[in-house]
Amino acid sequence: MIQDLHQQHHLSRRSLLKSTLVTAGGMAVANWGALFHSQTIAAEAKRSGKRCIMLYMEGGVSQIDTFDMKPGRPTGGPFRPIKTNVDGIQICEYLPKMARHADKLAIIRSMRTKSVDHGIGGYHMHTCYPSSEKFPHPEIGAMIAKYCENPQSDLPSFVKLGPAGCNAGSGYLGPQYEPFVLGTDGKLPGFANPSAPPAVQDRRAELLKSFEERYAKQRPAEPFASHREAELRTIRLMRARKAFDVADEWTKARERYGNTPFGRGCFTAVKLAEAGVPFIEVGHDGYDSHNDNFPVHKANLSVLDPAWSSLLQDLQDRGMLKDTLVVWTSEFGRTPAINGQGGRDHFGRAWTVVLAGGGIKGGQVYGASDRDGFEVAEKMVDEGAYFATIYKTLGINHRAKHYLGSRPIWATPEGSKPIEELLA
Amino acid sequence: MNTHARSNLLTALGLLTAAFVLVGGCTSAAGGTLSATIDREIKAGWSKEKITPPGRSSDAVFLRRIYIDLVGMIPGYEETTTFLADTDPEKRAKLIDRLLVDPRYGRQQAQVFDLAMLTRDHKLVDGTVGHRTRGRFREWLAKQFAGNEPYDRIAAKILQAEEDGSQLYFAVYANTDEMAAAVSRFFLGTQIQCAKCHNHPFETWTQKDYHGMAGFFARTVSVEAPGKPEVTNQKGKQYLVGEKEFGDAFFPLEEIDPKTKKKKTIPIKPKFLSGDELKEPEPPKDYVEAKLKPNELPPKPAFSRRQKFVEWMIGKDNPFFAKAAANRVWAQFMGRGFVHPVDDFISSSTPSHPGLLKAMETELVAHHFDLKWLIREIVNSHAYQAADLGDAKDAMPKFYERAPVRPLNVEELTASLHIAMGLGVEAALKVEPNQQMLQYLGKPTDGQGRFQGSLTEHLFFHNGDGFRGMCKPGKGNLAEQLLTGTEDWGKKVERMFLSVLSRPPAGEEREQFVQYLGADGKDPKLAAQRIEDAMWVLVSSSEFRFNK
Repeated sequence: MIQDLHQQHHLSRRSLLKSTLVTAGGMAVANWGALFHSQTIAAEAKRSGKRCIMLYMEGGVSQIDTFDMKPGRPTGGPFRPIKTNVDGIQICEYLPKMARHADKLAIIRSMRTKSVDHGIGGYHMHTCYPSSEKFPHPEIGAMIAKYCENPQSDLPSFVKLGPAGCNAGSGYLGPQYEPFVLGTDGKLPGFANPSAPPAVQDRRAELLKSFEERYAKQRPAEPFASHREAELRTIRLMRARKAFDVADEWTKARERYGNTPFGRGCFTAVKLAEAGVPFIEVGHDGYDSHNDNFPVHKANLSVLDPAWSSLLQDLQDRGMLKDTLVVWTSEFGRTPAINGQGGRDHFGRAWTVVLAGGGIKGGQVYGASDRDGFEVAEKMVDEGAYFATIYKTLGINHRAKHYLGSRPIWATPEGSKPIEELLA
Repeated sequence: MNTHARSNLLTALGLLTAAFVLVGGCTSAAGGTLSATIDREIKAGWSKEKITPPGRSSDAVFLRRIYIDLVGMIPGYEETTTFLADTDPEKRAKLIDRLLVDPRYGRQQAQVFDLAMLTRDHKLVDGTVGHRTRGRFREWLAKQFAGNEPYDRIAAKILQAEEDGSQLYFAVYANTDEMAAAVSRFFLGTQIQCAKCHNHPFETWTQKDYHGMAGFFARTVSVEAPGKPEVTNQKGKQYLVGEKEFGDAFFPLEEIDPKTKKKKTIPIKPKFLSGDELKEPEPPKDYVEAKLKPNELPPKPAFSRRQKFVEWMIGKDNPFFAKAAANRVWAQFMGRGFVHPVDDFISSSTPSHPGLLKAMETELVAHHFDLKWLIREIVNSHAYQAADLGDAKDAMPKFYERAPVRPLNVEELTASLHIAMGLGVEAALKVEPNQQMLQYLGKPTDGQGRFQGSLTEHLFFHNGDGFRGMCKPGKGNLAEQLLTGTEDWGKKVERMFLSVLSRPPAGEEREQFVQYLGADGKDPKLAAQRIEDAMWVLVSSSEFRFNK
């Protein structure tokens, strides 16, 4: 028996040597599966196709002061519309850079959603289901991570940056798809920074690896494999930390994106998408303008406009836009009526979201609100249709079936259908 | 005797014991008739399915398994070495008896039931908010299990929610629908919630059944009332449960009410699941429901529908309760129920071992829902004591051809970490999993109970203080003892393995760890780092992460 163990030892040593490579610094690291190599990853990402970047306006963004203007109407407010690079589409004067990208945008002006407070709205617009069900629905990011992830990638498949509009996480899809949450500035959480020097990390990782291999030999059960696999991914992630460090490039990019946390978040999102992360959510908060709606939105749009437009431009320049869906959304819109404090309140009856890029037919407005913006006038879009459309463009079956215990549950509720006119 | 020879001897003794028991077939000194029935039926399953029967677990594997299952933490170094060296052929049965009267038994059983009933998802009992409330509920449960209160009595008391500390169940499942669904699932092993809106697709339940169940809970109310600091949550409130005199569950009709533009509803009589309507007295005609403040309970009703439900549930002829209980306790120790998931008895599907389930149900009733008896019978069986080796990939093999592999929950992990680091049982009992542990390790499975390794869990293992910090030599912990101790590395490695993994190192492991630990010579700082590394490797391993 001892002999047998020895033989095993030699075997694993040999296979270890075979899969060892030397880093630029000369340090040998074990290659336990996929190797972190940015070019390999970029190639993988290109091959496997789709990704999604979701820009989430936390607090509830005003449709009338952005993409569904009502000039001359009592609800219109002081902002003026401007022309875009698409005939017949006008948007807010404080989105001048975005006006030059209207050919990429599908503007949905007929959103009608049911959950019009922050917690429940954030939940509904992230999971497609009302929180009142008290069911562990996963966020859209977890769903996309599950179906679009590249299992070979060294990076997490669901990344969140900046203010979060929802913390439902991966729900019934399980911890493998939990969001990996970065700081507002895109920095890694503290506990992702190695607590030991690289040499110590490497040597203890090698000790763990041979320990685990020996243990696994007679124990093929899935949980053990899942545990080992997560350990290897974690080590690869810690080695791949550089992918999150955009500091050098940011000094050049911040001029275009605007030197703001949201701008930096958008830039980081492009870099992560390029490195193979299939879903990145970037949050931008401060839209909940019950008071002083107009100054609040004007200030926010000055942050949004350069960041979003540069993100689209960079995706296009890198040839990534056709495979990257960019979603601009919020928990709900804001009332057409202007209240006594010059504010607009929560509103789900007729508001606007914008899709762009991968799989979306740009340069169009879909649906409409009525003259003053109080109701949907045509082509109402509910949560189900909105999610189904997103999933379809990413090649995900919007009726994908999963289980909580024995109870079946679908990615979108029964009857949800993608909006074909929005698809390229 | 050097350590190497000693551990070989230990192994040899373990094998000898295993052989003796297998040949002699006499574990039944402690295990009675049910234990024998279990083994007969499980064996019949193997031959029917043409499965090679598993071997018996080694003493070390059994020791760790039974400790985690019965007292929620791994055995300490002394307990491990004593047990492994013990040559008494009845030592397993004797250990089981000892652990069943250990004070930690009630606590562990309470944790398992609390998590199964309340999950980690509910805001009220999540994390720190209301944590003290949950702690009280667990303490109350622990008292029931430790005193071996019959399970039907425990179930009744949870639903009556009158004892101090027992009220949390209805505070979590606070509306009629949630109550009906939760009670059916946990206590009756039956899912009826889908029948709220449509007749069940795979089951005989109709909307009438659902609303009939809901009727028993329509009058139950849970309020938050001010209380003494030692019994309140962080908002200074305690939960109290009561019942109103009036109130019905409503059944939605297809017809639309022109006024409200919603479906018309009619009140529906409470109806026992797959049984009769409740016969209840007419409510007093001139009774006016008292106007209540939000934090006030109504006066006790003259007639309690909920009490009638409880009486039916634990009644002798209830078709669901005992079966669900037997299946649940079996699954707790064997990984999966005969019916899986445990809360999904469907009349149209057959349990994996119908005869055994029936026997277990009958005996449980005959033993007046004596849980300790049931658990003792299960864990004394060969089936429970099966080896952890084999070809099956499934975490919970359907025919029990290998011991199940389940992740330690965060409470077990926290306590076990303290034991592994040589900090003792008292420290292990005192510490609660912190917010980070709950966040990163609290829910390690997906919607179907399958374990998923996650990046955040491992980043936490690597860099979080919870794990790494504990592996560092300090405060008299094992790492420090090893650093300052004068034994050779071989002895130290042995102690490390026995403390953390409850087994001696295999020859090759010993060699490798000795080499690793001694690589930097005598420099105490470098040695301290290497000891920390080695401890970290052991607690990060899948051998430590799971019970198997």
